[in-house]
Amino acid sequence: MSNHQIERAEPNLTPLLDMVFQLITFFMLVINFKGASLDLSLKLPVLGSARPLDKHGKLEPLLLNIDTGGQVNAYGQQVDVERYVSREARLLREQLRLSGTPVDKGELPVSVIIRADRAAPFHLVNHVLKVCQDQGYRQFALSAMSHEEKH
Amino acid sequence: MRHSQRRRRRQRDQGTVELNLAAMLDMAFQLLTFFILTFRPAPIEGQLALNMPPPVPLTNVESDQKFGDGTGDVLAMETLHLHVVADTQGDVRELKVESNSVVDGRLDETNVHRLDRKLQSLFAVQQIPFDRIQIAVDGRLRYGELMKIIDVCHRQHLPDGTTMQKISFTEVEMGTASSPQ
Repeated sequence: MSNHQIERAEPNLTPLLDMVFQLITFFMLVINFKGASLDLSLKLPVLGSARPLDKHGKLEPLLLNIDTGGQVNAYGQQVDVERYVSREARLLREQLRLSGTPVDKGELPVSVIIRADRAAPFHLVNHVLKVCQDQGYRQFALSAMSHEEKH
Repeated sequence: MRHSQRRRRRQRDQGTVELNLAAMLDMAFQLLTFFILTFRPAPIEGQLALNMPPPVPLTNVESDQKFGDGTGDVLAMETLHLHVVADTQGDVRELKVESNSVVDGRLDETNVHRLDRKLQSLFAVQQIPFDRIQIAVDGRLRYGELMKIIDVCHRQHLPDGTTMQKISFTEVEMGTASSPQ
């Protein structure tokens, strides 16, 4: 009788499973898929007045990372800025055309988020800005840290 | 006899049905491991939202309109011009508002305040309603330094109470930035 009971003894896994599911829920809620688009090696300028961009349900902004050498990085890949921005603008115009949204004076109603390293010379950043302006982008959001990060 | 045995076994089996939680727990742990390994908290960063139209020529088109004549006519909006000269290190060497030198030397906290006060005094003059700022920037200037200037410009209030958002840049060739375009 006692041997039979020992064989059938099983830990109650339900509380453990509950806890694991709670942890999974937590991580699912805080997961940041957009982190893949950020180049975290860049040292952004520090400005106290920088505020998170309020999108108000608008279209997804175009995000460009610019390192000190002027190389543009998007989603972890170094890209040719002219070709990349031109393709994004073309796709956006097509999307707007299909949704019936008029493009006022050729100006695209989407922000460009510029994440440039604070040590990058202006002429390299300006080149990227000009490329975006030539493609019809007018709204820009310049990224900055709201305070210096401690390492 | 055989039928009754089967029925009894079925009844006993039905009474002791238990879910095998081990498999589900394995899967849950795998999911948990994935989320823990891929977890990366988002950096705390903000943005300066700007409307950047392409730069316009520096030459102002003269108009016959006179400011402050009390006629209620709509006043022409003006562009305020800033000129930034950098040294070889990419720091600010000189900053002019129109033709007046406001900052001479590095853009430290004191100079940032000086620039802010100067712009505030210009924007406080209601007769000259600036609606955009155009900055002629030395190409060597570091982006971090430029952002300090943009930050000051962005803080200025327009007559309608909103903050300055129309800021555009022109790049000045290295070493020739001291002379306005």
